[in-house]
Parts: sequence; C-alpha cells; structure tokens
Amino acid sequence: MTNMTLYVKKDSPVHSVDPLTKLLFAFYSITLTYIVSSHLSVLLILLSTLIILLAGKVFKYILPVIGVSFLLILSIIIVQGFFHPTRATVLFEVGPISIYKEGFLIAFLIALRVINMVAAFGVLILTTKPDDLVDSLLRKGLSPRFGYVLLSVLQIIPQMASLTGKITDAQRARGMETEGGLWMRFKSFIPLLGPVVLNSLSETRERSIALEIRGFNAKGQRTFIRETEFYQYGLFLKILMTVIFIAVVVWRFVS
Amino acid sequence: MTKNNMWSLKLSTAALVLIPAAVGINFLGKLFASLLKLPLWVDSIGTVLSSMLAGPVVGAIAGIVNNLVYGFTTDPVSFVYAITSAVIGLVAGIMAYKGWISNVGKAIVLGLVVGLIAATVSTPLNIMFWEGTTGNVWGDALFAAMLAKDMPLWLASFADSIVVDVPDKIVTVLLSFLIFKGLPKNVKNMYDNTGEIERL
Repeated sequence: MTNMTLYVKKDSPVHSVDPLTKLLFAFYSITLTYIVSSHLSVLLILLSTLIILLAGKVFKYILPVIGVSFLLILSIIIVQGFFHPTRATVLFEVGPISIYKEGFLIAFLIALRVINMVAAFGVLILTTKPDDLVDSLLRKGLSPRFGYVLLSVLQIIPQMASLTGKITDAQRARGMETEGGLWMRFKSFIPLLGPVVLNSLSETRERSIALEIRGFNAKGQRTFIRETEFYQYGLFLKILMTVIFIAVVVWRFVS
Repeated sequence: MTKNNMWSLKLSTAALVLIPAAVGINFLGKLFASLLKLPLWVDSIGTVLSSMLAGPVVGAIAGIVNNLVYGFTTDPVSFVYAITSAVIGLVAGIMAYKGWISNVGKAIVLGLVVGLIAATVSTPLNIMFWEGTTGNVWGDALFAAMLAKDMPLWLASFADSIVVDVPDKIVTVLLSFLIFKGLPKNVKNMYDNTGEIERL
C-alpha cells in the first residue's frame, strides 16, 4: 500500500492531453456505449478506447483493472446467458441446462460495455496524476477547500493502512483471536477498527487546527503554487469529441 | 439544536477534514473484513460514522468522495455507485439526527432502513448498467433462480440487491453505532456545527 494511484508515468501523446479532456472522453465514450445498441458499434467504441490506451503506452496496465471487474462480467455472462427473460432460442446445451442465444447476446453486449467503461476511465486514470486532475478542476472553479479534501484522501489512506499492521499485532499480543469461527472473527472487528478510528478522528482535530493556522478559510483570491501545465490539443480534441458524440446521438435517434 | 442546522452547507474545517478520515475508515473496514474473511463488505462504516458525527451533508459528501477515490485507485465500476453511497450517508445522517441511534434496537432499525434504501437506489443502476446483476455470488444466484421462475427482471434485481445490502448495512450501522458510542465526548462535539461548543 505504498502508492494509492494507478497512474503510470510515461511519455506519450495521451499523457500530454489535459485531464479535463480525458474526463470528457471517458464520459462520452461510456455514454455512447449505452446509447448505441448494436454489438458492432459497441465493439468499435471499445476498440477505439483500447487504441487510445495503446497510444498512451499503458495497455498492459489496464488488464489488472479489468480483472477487478472480472467477477461482475462473469456473473453477467452466466446469469444472463442462462436466465434472461427473453430467452427462446437454445444456442447450445451443457448437460441439463441450455444457454440461450438472446440472453447470451445481451450478456455479451453488457460485458463489452463494462470493459469499455473500465478502459475509458483507464485512459484518464492511468495517464493522469490525481494532483493534475484536481489542479485542473481547481482552475475551473472547484472550491480549494474541496480540492484539499480530494487530495488528502490519497495521503491519509496509506497512513491509516500502515497503522493496521501495528494494531493487529498489538491486539493479537493481548490475546485477540483473528482466526476461528465466524462469530469469533466477527467479534475481533471492533478491537481492530476502534483504535484506528479513534486515532484518525483525534488526528482530524490537529489537522484542522494546522489548516486554520495556515489560512485554510481565508477569503479572497487563491494563487497556485505550480505553473499552469502546458497541455496539447485540448480545445481541438474537445470539439472533435463533442462533434462525434452529437453525430452519433443524432444518427441513433434519427435512424 | 435548531432544525435547519442539519442541512447547513457551511462546513467547518473539522467537518471537512472528517471526510478524508471517513473514506480512510471505509477503506480499513473493507480491509479488516477481508482480513478476517467475513462474508460481508462492511465498506461504509466511515460514511455512516461521519454522518452520525457531522450530519447528512458531510455523510453524503463522504460517500461520494469515497466512491470517486475508490474508482480512481482500484475499480472504476464504483463510480456508478457514488449515488448509492451518497444516499447511505444522507439517510444515516437524517435518522441519526432524529434520534435513531439512541440504543442498539434503534440502530438495527436504522441499519435496516439504510439497507432497504441502498437496495432501492442500486436496483435501477444495476438494471441500467448490467441488466440487473450485482457481481455478488449469493445475490446473483438468487437473481438467476428468480429469473428461472419467470419473475420480472426488476423484482429479481431488487431481491438481488436486498439480500446483499440489508445484512451488510445492518452490520455496518451496528458497528458504526458501537464505535460511535465508544467515542469520547470531546471528539463527538468537535464536528457539531451547532456553534455552542468549541468550534475549530
């Protein structure tokens, strides 16, 4: 638990696009897969997302992220393939149960959409430092206090996670059981979580005093410690994506 | 306490700083649950605890931030459920404010209500995004069984969410309640933005 983000530092065209454009891309790409309903078009959208990942040199890093959703995808395919309400045509039979064509096609479509959802966010997540994203949002008018909240989460979680090892050991030394029956394990939940919670809550007191001393609630114009990053093709890409998006939406509802 | 304070959008520094801590607690709850191999997620203790401490607004923000950060660092699918998390924080905060955390019995009712509402909010999302499945083995098994009996999709999906969410949220709220009761008074008062007591 040393590094919280999935960001991969590489030098690629995708890395040099500004975070908000990538955020917009993720939004458009995911919305489009839910607007169009043919397998071919969803597959095309997925392919274009994957090509962007390739261009960003981060393709192999998306695979474990898709792996996290593997259970969801598997469950969609099994459950919908066997039991979707529109089932009629038997595709093939496995022993006594049969897989239906309709359900399987729907399951396949949803699986493509899920993979595209993960991959499209992957374009943003794998090629953007969280700091840069929050920085861009702040420049667009996000409250600086809220920006602090977002970024401090990424710092606090590793700190708290490193506490857990200590606390588990300390409570074991006092005779707490972490193995055994369900009830036994369940009972040890409070002695584990309690100290971390109390510790982190009393830390918030110190943190808020420290922040207030440094002008956290100061009114007036904030300045940025970092120079504006130089991003390429931002406006052009935004216009291009919006045009494509609107074109697909119009095509979908006209035809 | 006056009535409109619950909805105050002017968050004190202490309440804002509570949000990252709440997300951290959510994360640890999940970590310990998998460490102890519990059959539940228990991943919203921080959200519920923060709404008990600082009200529905902070709880809802903590819920949203939790899913955004989790989506950004582990699993983008959790962006979808940001709304559910927000509603969990909102409901827990309102009911805690109305006195539903005064004893264990009420806390269980609170957990039940939070679970039911969480399931109600999740169901349309599940149907919209993945035709009703949740990715949880037990829930999806029930979902499949109900579809096999030709029950409507929405009902099966709702049942799918309920068997997963309700037990999970009852346990979550109960654990948060026990932790909340054990907190020293000066910690509890810190986030109280009614203004009488020390404000940071």
